Amino acid sequence: MADLRVNIGGLFMKNPVTVASGTFGYGQEYDEYFDIAQLGAVTVKSLTLQPRAGNRPPRLAETPAGLLNAIGLQNVGIEAYLRAKLPFLRKKGCTIIANIYGYVPDDYAELARRLESEQGADAIEVNLSCPNVHDARSVGGCKLVAQQPEAVLKYTRVIRSATRLPLFIKLSPNVADIVEPCLAAQEGGADGLSLINTLLGMEIDVKTRKPVLSNLVGGLSGPAIRPVALKMVWDAARAVKIPIIGMGGICNARDAVAFLLVGASAVAVGSASFRRPDTALQVIKGLEDYLEEHGFSRVTELVGALKTE
Amino acid sequence: MPFVRDCEVLAHQEVAADHYRITLAAPEIAKQARPGMFCMIEVGTGFYPFLRRPFSVERIHADGISFLYKVEGEGTRLLSRFRAGDTVNIQGPLGRPFPVEAGMRRYFLVAGGIGVAPFPALAEAIIAVGGTPEVLLAARTEHLLIGARDFSRMGCRVVLATDDGSCGMKGTAVDLLKQDLGTGEGSVVYACGPMAMLRAAHETCLAAGVVCWASLEAHMACGDGVCMRCVVPANRETEAERMARVCREGPVFDSRDINWTACP
Repeated sequence: MADLRVNIGGLFMKNPVTVASGTFGYGQEYDEYFDIAQLGAVTVKSLTLQPRAGNRPPRLAETPAGLLNAIGLQNVGIEAYLRAKLPFLRKKGCTIIANIYGYVPDDYAELARRLESEQGADAIEVNLSCPNVHDARSVGGCKLVAQQPEAVLKYTRVIRSATRLPLFIKLSPNVADIVEPCLAAQEGGADGLSLINTLLGMEIDVKTRKPVLSNLVGGLSGPAIRPVALKMVWDAARAVKIPIIGMGGICNARDAVAFLLVGASAVAVGSASFRRPDTALQVIKGLEDYLEEHGFSRVTELVGALKTE
Repeated sequence: MPFVRDCEVLAHQEVAADHYRITLAAPEIAKQARPGMFCMIEVGTGFYPFLRRPFSVERIHADGISFLYKVEGEGTRLLSRFRAGDTVNIQGPLGRPFPVEAGMRRYFLVAGGIGVAPFPALAEAIIAVGGTPEVLLAARTEHLLIGARDFSRMGCRVVLATDDGSCGMKGTAVDLLKQDLGTGEGSVVYACGPMAMLRAAHETCLAAGVVCWASLEAHMACGDGVCMRCVVPANRETEAERMARVCREGPVFDSRDINWTACP
């Protein structure tokens, strides 16, 4: 059997498959379908210092080969996570990546400190790229931190100084050049990158002549964005030295292999879990089969093994 | 514990214009299903539609379950194309069922349009505990009053209303409830239908001091409490609980738990 283990930026994973933040709750929901401890890691929904109720409905719409969401980070907050959600994940023996969101750098630093001091995570993923917590009515919307490389650098430095846990920066595809924020995160001391968050999008109900989302715009995910994500991971992987968790529309092992080939060291299954809760588990199994079938002894051999000639 | 299973379509009939009943062989799901719970059905195998569709369980048999649905959009249109012998993938049972307590004096089942969908199983459960369900069934027009005869055959009292007066009283299911509820003493109300109807049922029950179990309909992406799409405003103190998930905290709610004034 091929060796699926990976070590990405100091985070050991028994296989390179995790789930995308916000598509897997806090793990317990999908443990009713399969043993979630089989995942390389469980990435939990974005945590904020205070609980958030999220945006008004409608918050999510189905689109061709994907979905558009503007949930607005509804979450229980760090306190309730540590008290009520974490014990289950720990008891299961899951490797945990905690995704965090803040309004200013100090929010992130405090979240990171608390997660480290209370053993609330094995790694931290920093959401600098949520498209759904800003007022979309202003022209051009509010700029995301991930759209400003100098801000990415600043935030990453502050959070880096607050924790020794492996630190992943999750960036936005809504930029002209993905390499710039990636280099900024690397310079700021990140151990890795998570690429990509959702693509900003909009959908209109022409009967009512209104946007389908109460937030007007949202983030697009699902197989519709996979080619965009692959290209961005490929661009980033050739420019940075730190490992990348690749994500964007992964539905099966073939998709996962494609992300590894363009340079991702691990992958995350996102919206596809909504269709089939055990998609990530099937990706792990399919990855094993692919490695065996193609004569690889270690999954790491696939990373960046793209043939461009 | 929910399952994800490929199930054989045992029967699929059009019961009224654009309204269908699909019966599936699903013994494991049937064993765990309770009236008011729902399943997520994969209506297409490609990438459009990308998401499953939620449907309340209509009836629970030893070896299968049925769903009653109305063709509303692309998903239900695709579902309506399945034929007996085809395989369809379903996930469930999910959500909280209707609580059924023995010994109530009256059991009212208030249904508006396709809101009748979860009530056949509920009526059976009420009969099983020795009650007589009183089904207050309303629809736009006569041919959309679905299942009236089935309820009668089961032994339910059935009262009908239509918006256009083509059958029964001219009015809504809640008009029927107002007429029948009286003091409400010893009564329990179960309601399913459009939000405006549920709200009216809630207000009627609140005034009479009767508990109203409302089954809510919502678009869902996952059905498992993860995606946070199907939320409704709830009467909860804490920010984290202010938006309740129809799939997880519902679909059946004590109507007093819903913040009706904040509902769209």
